[in-house]
Amino acid sequence: MFGRMKDAMTDAAETLRRAFAGLTVVEVVPEPFAFACHGAASLAAETREGLQPPVTGCAEMRLLRNAVEGKALAPLRAELRAEAGWARWGAEAEVVRMTPLAGGQVARLAVPPLPRKAQVLGRLEPPARPLPRRLSEPLPKPDVRRMAPGLRLVEAQAGLDVMLAIAVPIRGEDIQHLPKGMWMRYSLQLVRGTGENVRNLEVIGLFRLPRKGVADLRHDPGQSRILVRLEASALRSPRAPFILARRKDDGSLLSCFVEDA
Amino acid sequence: MADPIKLAYFMAVKEGASYLGGLLVTDTSGIPLDFRYTEPITPTRLQSILYGKSLEPHLKEEVIQKTLLKELKTPPDLFILSATELAGGWSGDAKYPVLAVQKSQEAPLAKVGDAFRAGPRELLLQLAEGAAPLRVMFAASVDAVAQEQAVVKLLEAGYHMDLAEPLERVTAALQSLVVQGS
Repeated sequence: MFGRMKDAMTDAAETLRRAFAGLTVVEVVPEPFAFACHGAASLAAETREGLQPPVTGCAEMRLLRNAVEGKALAPLRAELRAEAGWARWGAEAEVVRMTPLAGGQVARLAVPPLPRKAQVLGRLEPPARPLPRRLSEPLPKPDVRRMAPGLRLVEAQAGLDVMLAIAVPIRGEDIQHLPKGMWMRYSLQLVRGTGENVRNLEVIGLFRLPRKGVADLRHDPGQSRILVRLEASALRSPRAPFILARRKDDGSLLSCFVEDA
Repeated sequence: MADPIKLAYFMAVKEGASYLGGLLVTDTSGIPLDFRYTEPITPTRLQSILYGKSLEPHLKEEVIQKTLLKELKTPPDLFILSATELAGGWSGDAKYPVLAVQKSQEAPLAKVGDAFRAGPRELLLQLAEGAAPLRVMFAASVDAVAQEQAVVKLLEAGYHMDLAEPLERVTAALQSLVVQGS
């Protein structure tokens, strides 16, 4: 690798040597050293009023020369300065002396206050302002009407006949809890009253019913009760034990009032 | 001989747009001794708007209930309401124990006559063998002593009748009255 680089360097040196081999030497009389001094205008601050922007300039602003913003700004003047060229290249130096900065004029810029209220633009005025008119005749006063919100008093009605139209359920007494002597007495009266053999009778229940005024009677076996429809006379009638039994041979119902013990 | 126990059953119902109530007095067999009812009251639209939600309680408690209570010539031994009526409040007289009865789904108590106190104003009462106990709720005006006395009467009446059934009869009677009137 180093061998290749060495060959390349040798080729380059040979090339340069051949290129400059035929050059003639020209004597150039150097120009006398001239003290060139270019003055520069002193910087100064320009006083402007209000919120006008400071003057700045740049090359790019030329493009905006015709624009509103561009007109407000001072254009930047550029000068093309030619140099002596290659003749002075490396032989002399050009010294540019600049004058020190001079004190500028100082001015106080008063900042105007911001507007307190923004101006509304583009508000449309109504085509015509309505004129208020006064109604000469007042509206008639409404009449006040009184309506008592209270609910009317009701009267109670006697409705026992309505209630008697509904069957009354009578629950049977527990025969097992009756005294044995009393139950034997009831059984004897049942046999006498129905004329049926006691062995052919199955007692369904013992109920206390009015002796009179029972208009209808139905057995409700599901709840061990009877449903009776009563007449008004039943309300004043004394209650008596009532035995309901079923005949075993044909299943027909038998009943009778028995004497209370 | 002690006077027979009288039970008063009160029920107020709303049928359509009309309100009416009934008061049934029975003996311990459930046989009716007296029945009073009020005429159906149909509030106007204006009254319904002005009274708002207080219309129904006002009608039931202030108008119907008080009208029917005036008709009671002798105070009953027990004044029985539905559980709904009792929950709505009782503003009537406290001369007699006011209570509500309701069939329960509870398991039967040990024996007939047993009572299980479920609260200061509520108890379960075993009235029939093997049946679910009856739930009894007393009004706030019934003190503990009056409750005990009422329980004795409930047990006596409950031996002969279904204590909750007459309320169904009152409802049926009121409904038939509305049908007749319309």
